[in-house]
Amino acid sequence: MNGLLHGLLYGLPIITVVLTATALGLWFERKFAARIQSRKGPTMVGPAGILQPLADVIKMLQKEQIAPATADRFLFELAPILCGACAVATAAVVPFSSTVIAADIDVGVLYVLAVNALILIPVWMGGWASNNKFALIGAMRAVAQSVSYSVPMVLSALVPVILAGSMSLSDIVRYQSEHHWFALWPTIPGLPAFVLFFLSSLAEANRIPFDIPEAESELIAGITTEYTGMKFGLFYMAEYIHTLIASAVASVLFLGGWDGPLYPGLHWMVIKTLLLFASIYWVRWSLLRFRTDQLMTLCWKWLVPASLLLVMAAALYVKAGGM
Amino acid sequence: MGFFLDSFRALGTTLRNFLRPPVTIDYPTVIRPRPERHRVSFALLIDETGDEACIGCLACERICPSQVIAIKQAPKRESKVTGKKRGYAEDFTLDLEACIFCELCVQVCPTDAIVMCRAPEVPGFCREDLVLTMDKLYENQKSKARSWGTAAKLLEMQDPARGKPKPADAGDDKSAEAGAEKPKAKGLKAKAVKTIAEPAKESVKESGAAELAKDSVKESVVTAPAKESPKESAKESAAMEIPPTDAKPAMAAEAAAKEPAPVSQAPAADTKEIP
Repeated sequence: MNGLLHGLLYGLPIITVVLTATALGLWFERKFAARIQSRKGPTMVGPAGILQPLADVIKMLQKEQIAPATADRFLFELAPILCGACAVATAAVVPFSSTVIAADIDVGVLYVLAVNALILIPVWMGGWASNNKFALIGAMRAVAQSVSYSVPMVLSALVPVILAGSMSLSDIVRYQSEHHWFALWPTIPGLPAFVLFFLSSLAEANRIPFDIPEAESELIAGITTEYTGMKFGLFYMAEYIHTLIASAVASVLFLGGWDGPLYPGLHWMVIKTLLLFASIYWVRWSLLRFRTDQLMTLCWKWLVPASLLLVMAAALYVKAGGM
Repeated sequence: MGFFLDSFRALGTTLRNFLRPPVTIDYPTVIRPRPERHRVSFALLIDETGDEACIGCLACERICPSQVIAIKQAPKRESKVTGKKRGYAEDFTLDLEACIFCELCVQVCPTDAIVMCRAPEVPGFCREDLVLTMDKLYENQKSKARSWGTAAKLLEMQDPARGKPKPADAGDDKSAEAGAEKPKAKGLKAKAVKTIAEPAKESVKESGAAELAKDSVKESVVTAPAKESPKESAKESAAMEIPPTDAKPAMAAEAAAKEPAPVSQAPAADTKEIP
């Protein structure tokens, strides 16, 4: 099939589904957080409050657009749009099943990691253009953190690439369905690499316990300090999409993606993604945030060497003939 | 290392919480029962003769710690109902914005004209809603459940030895629909406490309070009914099926024996009225 047509046919529904899933993820998080705190969460809008994200979006759309007088207007307006676009773009190569994939490119892993890292640019753009010290500090922290955590993230993503011998996400899943899920076997590079990848993607997405770029108690709201209404909404949405895609990629790389018994592939993919998604929120509502120096220590002194060792172990495993 | 152990402990705690049922009460649809002394608003009462109970004596205005009560006294005139010459309040304003709900105004009222309401809450959409004018105060008597406190009860509670609550005259009884028995019983008690002094032992033995008040009959009955005894007797006399309205001031001694019952039953009845 024509590549462009294929992209359109699958891309539009995938974007729609991802955006809807993000909205539902927001609802899910609020419910989940509420239950963790012995509350009920949203109950008023729709059955069990499931339309709450819709109400939130309508609220944000209605808000006045305020920009600081000293802000760089062009960059200020551009940043949230780019941020949302980058987040959605990641979804393009994620294989939701053997057929549901917008663009099955040969270097899917590279693409996902690269576009993930690209989010830095709009984030820095927003922090700089706001002309606000809290936004600037937040943006600086975000850049420092994302650059640092990209290293262990890329290195741990290399483990399944080496094991499967391919950079295509669907090939990696196919390899896993023929052999084992990488999180299970080979356990030594597989399971720790999964944990590392997951931790690093938490940090990349600025989720607790790695949310120092928007540490409310110190930085008001970090880069989103000066953003109102839907511009803030786009940053917020990007963060959720980022989290969702990170869960999807982690389940593709380490948990066998669409592979699973009984149910069709799409179901398994959704189940795995949502489980990871939920565990991100579980972590988020349980732990405190790191200090900046602790964050850097954890990354450079522990995660980077550990991921290097894991890459080496994976290479040795393949060299020794594998299983 | 400690951090990681603590992290897992934190995850365990949140998971445990997650599996517990939520403690939230769906507030606007479900309202927790309010305690009997819950107080959110005020009401002025119309007494049983159908006249305003407030005599405009300014006692509440003077005692109010935050000075939210403003009364305009009317010149003394003859009551249209009883024909007696008495004071009136021409205007009565109570500003809930600064009210601290201390109930002191209720406590000092010589005629039990002002009481507090036990409605779950009084929301308002503007500040004016919180200023209770005379009309609103009289309207509240009909529309809101009454709180426990009346001048007599509050005085008695604070100083049981006082024994003789101020409004000793049964003519002050109020006839609010909701709490009709309550003030009546109060006025009745005022009388009863006096009369009970002589036939003390027998009449008390008849009442359910006997067991409890056994040893302290002499002092406690003469001075004031012991604080706990009305509650006990409330249960007992409820079992004896004495309708509270049967007690008439005229029946002095016999009724006196039964009188604690309606007093303490009244709040219990109020509890059910709260939605």
